[in-house]
Amino acid sequence: MFSFPEITSAFYYTAAPVLILVAGSMITLLQGVSRGYSSQRAIEVVSWLTIFAAILAAVAMPVDQASFLAGGLLSGTLVRIAQLAILMISAAVMMMMREHHTAPAFFRGEVISIFLMLISGMLVLVSSDDLVTLFVGLELASIGLYVILGYVQPNRRSQEGAIKYFILGSVAAAILLFGFALLYASCGTMRLSGIVAALPPIAGHGWVRLGALLTLVGLGFKLALVPFHMWAPDAYESAPTGITAFMATTVKVMILTVALRLFAGAYSSLIDVWYPALIILAVLSVIAGNIMALVQSNLKRMLAYSSIAHSGYMAVAVCALSTTDTNLPVRAILFYLLTYVIVSLGAFAVVMSLETAENDQLTIDDLSGLAKKRPGLALAMTLFMLSFGGMPPTAGFIGKFFVFNAALNNHLYGLVFIGIIGSAISLFYYLRLVVRMYMAEPVAPFGAVNTAKGRFSLTNLILGFAVVSTLLLGTILPAEIMDRLVGAATEVARK
Amino acid sequence: MEFFNSHVLSIMTFLPLMVAAAIFIVPDDKFARVAALGGSILTFFVSLHVWHYFNAGSAKIQFVESYVWMPEFGIRAIFGVDGISLLLVMLTTALTPLVILSLWNSHVSNLRYFFGALLALQTGMLGALVALDLVFFYVFWEVMLIPMYFIIGIWGGARRIYATTKFILYTVVGSLLMLAAAIVLYISYHRQTGIYSTSILDLYNASLDTTTQLWLFGCFALAFAIKVPMWPFHTWLPDAHVEAPTAGSVILAGVLLKMGTYGFLRFAIPMFPLAVKSFAPILVFLGVVGIIYGALTAWVQQDAKKLVAYSSVSHLGFVVVGSVSLLADGSLSVEALTGAIYQMINHGVSTGALFFLVGVIYERRHTRMLADFGGLASVMPWFSVMLIIATLGSVGLPGTGGFVGEFLILLGTYQSSPVAAVMSATGVLLGAIYMLTLCRKLLFGPVTHDENKKMKDLSPLEFSYLVPLALLVIIMGVFPDFFLAKSKASIEHLAKNYRSYSLAIDSH
Repeated sequence: MFSFPEITSAFYYTAAPVLILVAGSMITLLQGVSRGYSSQRAIEVVSWLTIFAAILAAVAMPVDQASFLAGGLLSGTLVRIAQLAILMISAAVMMMMREHHTAPAFFRGEVISIFLMLISGMLVLVSSDDLVTLFVGLELASIGLYVILGYVQPNRRSQEGAIKYFILGSVAAAILLFGFALLYASCGTMRLSGIVAALPPIAGHGWVRLGALLTLVGLGFKLALVPFHMWAPDAYESAPTGITAFMATTVKVMILTVALRLFAGAYSSLIDVWYPALIILAVLSVIAGNIMALVQSNLKRMLAYSSIAHSGYMAVAVCALSTTDTNLPVRAILFYLLTYVIVSLGAFAVVMSLETAENDQLTIDDLSGLAKKRPGLALAMTLFMLSFGGMPPTAGFIGKFFVFNAALNNHLYGLVFIGIIGSAISLFYYLRLVVRMYMAEPVAPFGAVNTAKGRFSLTNLILGFAVVSTLLLGTILPAEIMDRLVGAATEVARK
Repeated sequence: MEFFNSHVLSIMTFLPLMVAAAIFIVPDDKFARVAALGGSILTFFVSLHVWHYFNAGSAKIQFVESYVWMPEFGIRAIFGVDGISLLLVMLTTALTPLVILSLWNSHVSNLRYFFGALLALQTGMLGALVALDLVFFYVFWEVMLIPMYFIIGIWGGARRIYATTKFILYTVVGSLLMLAAAIVLYISYHRQTGIYSTSILDLYNASLDTTTQLWLFGCFALAFAIKVPMWPFHTWLPDAHVEAPTAGSVILAGVLLKMGTYGFLRFAIPMFPLAVKSFAPILVFLGVVGIIYGALTAWVQQDAKKLVAYSSVSHLGFVVVGSVSLLADGSLSVEALTGAIYQMINHGVSTGALFFLVGVIYERRHTRMLADFGGLASVMPWFSVMLIIATLGSVGLPGTGGFVGEFLILLGTYQSSPVAAVMSATGVLLGAIYMLTLCRKLLFGPVTHDENKKMKDLSPLEFSYLVPLALLVIIMGVFPDFFLAKSKASIEHLAKNYRSYSLAIDSH
């Protein structure tokens, strides 16, 4: 029965980003224990080379759909978009980490090795058509995150966050795996494309339905949807801010890519199971995420709850996948994701440039009067907050417009109403930050935050990129981007 | 010149934003004020061009520009003016240079950002008035909020943060519902015709069932009612006005509030005509309550600015009542509608002047309490002349614009609902009472406070922005036809045909 899969050059092109990352991970691991090559500089050289080689490989990846290793590896537009997104975010995070006070702790052999390995796990996850590979990719990414969270800055707080994330994440993984097992037992195949075909006749069966529900719970955990969000605020708060930015963005990219494959494709005959459950998660996330963000005083915790609420908005768009025409919802999700990633990176870049080694837990009050000391940063942060709040003419407005559009197209009036209420609440705490920066006097003598005048730095580069993209995505680019997402949308479209 | 003629509206709309960007880049207050004044005057001249070449006999949309933005989703930037928006455009472009003049010698911190915010605000207001596409209208509608939010929040009074947050949250809740309603309309239109379009020229033709229209009208009406603001959604307004700097108050009362009533005329009424019949009595009721409530509340105010703010609630009640006066045959009353539009302009001029005048005494004494003044007529004669002109315009004395507007509204409303007309008319009486009380307490009687004895009369700078407004109050009362001639066709078209409304494009 078993025959060794045929290895073609197309396979190498498709697998190249993953292979490069694994190779980079091995080299940095060896460097870490070597005598002469373990300096920060040497580690940096290898890690930059690896990440840029992986980006080039992802750019060169074939976009026509093909499947290798019995479904373990896919190529296609969606895979390429997701891989490029994850790799570029990683590069951006590395750039920002380089100038952060935690840089010496981050650019160590073993840390970078884990970092590169977990990115490769993410790439495996987004390019997999097979439940087992999918799970392996997810765990590779998650275990790497648990370790990095507690290991870069090994203090009590970060270890507590890491342990919390580890325990809850492992439970979620077990639930997800159980769901996959039930699906496999019922369908007799591990491949998502096979499950699509096998499901319809047995869709009414209890075990199948439970399996689908359990996968939803598992993904909800990773996406930090309420009520599975408990790990997120602690993990976000305790991690070095660069890692927080990395988690807040890449995890959403990878989980939503999987969610698109599952909910638009494989689970299409189980709509009556996941759809009502997801509606509940979406409503809870939008409302609870925004309300809890209102009362936070720690900046990173506030951004954590805001990211929970944004997961909720994306879940609203995922709910809209229950229609027959998934084209618009898929593109709405991807566009929203794009705006969310860019704005989040920008917001965390602001936080990172304000942090000092003495004060790396900024509170909202620390930002008081920022507009006087660092007008550029304050303006950028204002733009990001307006975009998070969905105000035109920023990217966030267009994202929200498409999400509402997709949801209303599917008659989800109630969900949109909840989304509107959530938006109004969210504007309150986003604007509170703006109020602090522009309308309040500094509370402490300005020692609390880094007020060194901004000279050229990679963090500022990322910041500038995020500002320009936030404006362009809100004004002249949306049509172009939505056009380019058509390919990905047709790929996951329900057959 | 060819380019100018075919892009005149977008030039007019975005010119202030360009100047704002320049002000933002060049770190110099002197440059900022010259550029701001120059830019706003240039914008005014561009709008005069539009006014001059506007074809008065036509109810069509003129100076139309159309740009593709998201072809796949049918979202285009369509700009155009008709008789209804033209007057408001002129009000906006005329008021902005005066507001900038009022800040000419101001010593507030970060003055250049203030100018930048005002100009960005002007782009938002003009854009919302000329946009004929729901998405672009929404974008400009929200863009208006952000500069105003900063103007109140940075340069406002002691409770500015509370006031500005309340202002923006109230408005955003309404406008998000409007956005959702707009998307529902857009989807319904697509279901009917297979065409994606957010252009209101297309959406006027959408034939929705009555229930849908009621819901959508409700969502739009809520957004506009909050903006107007109509009773009981008015509570943000006194806070915003009291805390806002003078320049902010003038723009807020002068133009921003009119966006709400303009929204009813441009969007809610012609897009959802079947709902008008059900909603008109509610709106008239809320309008009448607003007139009386605003007037009574204004009467008891001790703070001059709060008094003027509540008078706005009362005056805009008139505008709402005039906008939805249904006649027996189901059409809107042309007189009432004409009066409503005239009253919008008129309120912008006279209340703008009143806020300026309150600002004048506040700057000298740092108080606005009526009890702190008295007998200013002998100390500041020119100030008193201006205040009396603005007051008379506000209470609607014959010979001022206010009379024309209120008379037409009452005339039209009487044909529609005599009860509403009589109730509204009490608002005119009350208006005379509270405004003349304001004048009496400020201007007449003995000078009771020694500080008031050496108050300086109006400076040449203050004259420069008050005289144009005072002249306008009188000219608008004497030559209403000069202003209304260009709007007549559009108003009649809306009043008679709102049930099967369409706007043709004038291609000259």
